Amino acid sequence: MFTRTHYKLERHTIGFAVAIIVVSAIGGLFEIAPLFTIDETVETAPDMRLYTPLELAGRNIYIREGCYACHSQMIRTLRDEVERYGPYSLAVESKYDHPMLWGSKRTGPDLARIGGKYSDAWQVAHLYNPRDVVPQSVMPAYRWLARNKLRTEDLGRHLIAQRRVGVPYTDDMIAHAEQDAKAQVDPDSDNAEGVSERYGEATHVRAFDGNPRDVTEMDALVAYLQILGRLTDAAYQNKDKGE
Amino acid sequence: MSMPFDHETLVAFSKSFGLFYLIAMSVIAVVYALWPANQAQFDRAAEQIFDDGDTPCQ
Amino acid sequence: MISGLTLGERQTAVCLSLALLVLGVIFAGAGQGDPLGVHGFIIAAYAVVVMGAVITGYYAPAPGADRLTQYYDDPTKFGIIVAMLWAIFGMFVGDWVAWLLAYPDMTFDAAWASFGRLRPVHTTGVIFGFGGNALIATSYHVVQRTSRARLPDQLSPWVVLIGYNLFCLLAVSGYLIGITQSKEYAEPEWYADILLVIVWVTYFLLYIRTLARRQEPHIYVANWYYMAFILVVAVLHIVNNLAVPVSLTEAKSYSLFAGVQDAMTQWWYGHNAVAFFLTAGFLGMMYYYLPKRAGRPIYSYRMSIVGFWGITFFYMWAGSHHLHYTALPLWVQNLGMTFSVMLLVPSWIAAGNALMTLNGAWTRVRDDATLRFMAMAAVFYGLSTFEGSFMAIRPVNSLSHYTDWTIGHVHAGTLGWVSMIVFGTFYSLVPWMWKVERMYSRKLVEWHFWLAMAGTLIYVFAMWNSGIIQGLMWRTYNDGGTLAYSFVDSLVAMHPYYIARAVGGFLFFLGPVIGLYNILMTIRLSRETAGTGIAEMPVVALKAGE
Repeated sequence: MFTRTHYKLERHTIGFAVAIIVVSAIGGLFEIAPLFTIDETVETAPDMRLYTPLELAGRNIYIREGCYACHSQMIRTLRDEVERYGPYSLAVESKYDHPMLWGSKRTGPDLARIGGKYSDAWQVAHLYNPRDVVPQSVMPAYRWLARNKLRTEDLGRHLIAQRRVGVPYTDDMIAHAEQDAKAQVDPDSDNAEGVSERYGEATHVRAFDGNPRDVTEMDALVAYLQILGRLTDAAYQNKDKGE
Repeated sequence: MSMPFDHETLVAFSKSFGLFYLIAMSVIAVVYALWPANQAQFDRAAEQIFDDGDTPCQ
Repeated sequence: MISGLTLGERQTAVCLSLALLVLGVIFAGAGQGDPLGVHGFIIAAYAVVVMGAVITGYYAPAPGADRLTQYYDDPTKFGIIVAMLWAIFGMFVGDWVAWLLAYPDMTFDAAWASFGRLRPVHTTGVIFGFGGNALIATSYHVVQRTSRARLPDQLSPWVVLIGYNLFCLLAVSGYLIGITQSKEYAEPEWYADILLVIVWVTYFLLYIRTLARRQEPHIYVANWYYMAFILVVAVLHIVNNLAVPVSLTEAKSYSLFAGVQDAMTQWWYGHNAVAFFLTAGFLGMMYYYLPKRAGRPIYSYRMSIVGFWGITFFYMWAGSHHLHYTALPLWVQNLGMTFSVMLLVPSWIAAGNALMTLNGAWTRVRDDATLRFMAMAAVFYGLSTFEGSFMAIRPVNSLSHYTDWTIGHVHAGTLGWVSMIVFGTFYSLVPWMWKVERMYSRKLVEWHFWLAMAGTLIYVFAMWNSGIIQGLMWRTYNDGGTLAYSFVDSLVAMHPYYIARAVGGFLFFLGPVIGLYNILMTIRLSRETAGTGIAEMPVVALKAGE
């Protein structure tokens, strides 16, 4: 009987097309749909803070340069990874990452908890020419990051777009996006305090590339690298609980 | 969240119904392929690509 | 090629390219100061080139009604050449970035020349540029022959090809100037994604319109695979690329999904891009051209049907094996693992079916490099699907993930399976399309085959070695219970393998260079013999390789 049905299905090409879609799509649906309700069961992290405009800009540079092609940001639940890189990554840690940058390849080491492991000066020197600090490195040199001024006038629009996809940036943050980006590299400026007010006391406010006057792409990228794994302490608390 | 669409329910549905769906799909595909009455058209299709007239039917 | 279009089609073509030109100019103007503006100029320039080509041929005599008595093959011919050009470009960039990992200072202090920007140029160039054009070109050929029906119109196949290559061009040029979503194998930004949706809908409609005109009630199985390729890629592409642009005059957008949902969506896409782009489409190619070239019907038509529904159904669940031991819930990981292992059944059905078809024609496989390409493709398909299922098992994956083993696996599939089935197909198809008896040089086909074999084997063995060494070094402990090697130690150990890989890649890259030369010379041969009577001879499939 259903052979006749299939026969008809084939004769009507559209029916055949629908069959392919249904058969293929349902699999993915079963797998993915429950993940969108996962917020109910996922770890909560009340201390989770947002990327500052400068860090977000740095993240966009990380994306633009394709850093994710060689660096993961996902420490797996394996002993050697935890010992090498730190507590394994939790889902909540990337809940504001649009898109996520878990990566799929480690030509270089994992960066999920790189924040604070090295000084700003080391990061700048390393990006300027990796082989100056790690002679065996195969990473490209990113000298132009130090030369390029960061585009800041569009950061407000970036925060608005982020809010549209679900990141809770406030009107205040959006209104001060450009100002905050400039102030975050200039701790002595009048606006520096506003950055800490809006994004939390733990926010790094300092001249990442050593020069507080200009906001360079180097500033942004280093600010981002220094915050990796530092947006919440959930992973560390989780580790203490486990032990 | 309220009852019908909480995470556990959705996962349970995926885990159970997904399995039945898998079995049903596999059975349907195999029965269709092995149904004796279909043999003739399959043979014809397999041979049809050697039909050498390289022009479309009008 | 313009001379084949009717006057009305030429006019529509001019209008469409004019519309594209306007769009490009708008983007160029509105996107000033943003990388989007650069893309506006590229779109406009592309439109001018297309329009120029149409206008140049505009006053050629219009084709008569007798065109309808022939299949419409001009787009297929165009697609073959373009696919070969993309192959050369994409593989060159691939080999270049392979050398960069051995000698990282070859970047001229320029952003565009760094590994991170060039790597997606390679992947897009070979997957979408080479693979995609090959799929589109051959699908036009297969659907017409198996339906015994001409394409329903002459313009939409061109819209698909021209639009699709604009997408590829925007993608590749975008990475170089810093436009990317960072979603692996789906890097192009929102406007390029919208373009691809338009192209793909046109492609789908063209395909089902042709099928609807078929004479035979049964649809030949190759078309099933092409259909699955077209349809599922559309679904994957739309869902995975859902994003909110910063503004309509800026290239940058933010993905609708974040974190764990985004990870699952990206790898649901990523793995099924492998399934429906790099597998289903090329299986369609195999199920038509391999029996055709071997002169033997497919060993078991029933198996091809079971295999089809198996692949269509199982693949969709397998994506989560890219996320083992991550923050993805464990049950989803286990589900992905289970289905990945089950996938071996339909995969080996297809590989076995291909090899059994050749059973009895092994002397031809020995003598005919073209058929040998297809036979090796089936072997590599079988090997890499086995490897894939194996690597999806969680404990295996704990070693292989993040290492070069994955790269080796992917290239066993793409060099060994995808490229080889395409080259085998092209060497069969080119003489049929240009109506000559055989390729210009059989010796060069032979050379291409052995370069491809050597290149693939060197590449894959180098990456297996480096990947497994890497994975082991990362997890080795010394007696004191601490990690034995620093990350840099493992990097240093990779150096010889990175050189070997780049050498293997170079050998493989030489293949399409030779191949394109051979194809162009074959076309020249067909022009020289045109009118001498040979061109009018009916092309007999069985004799094509002899």
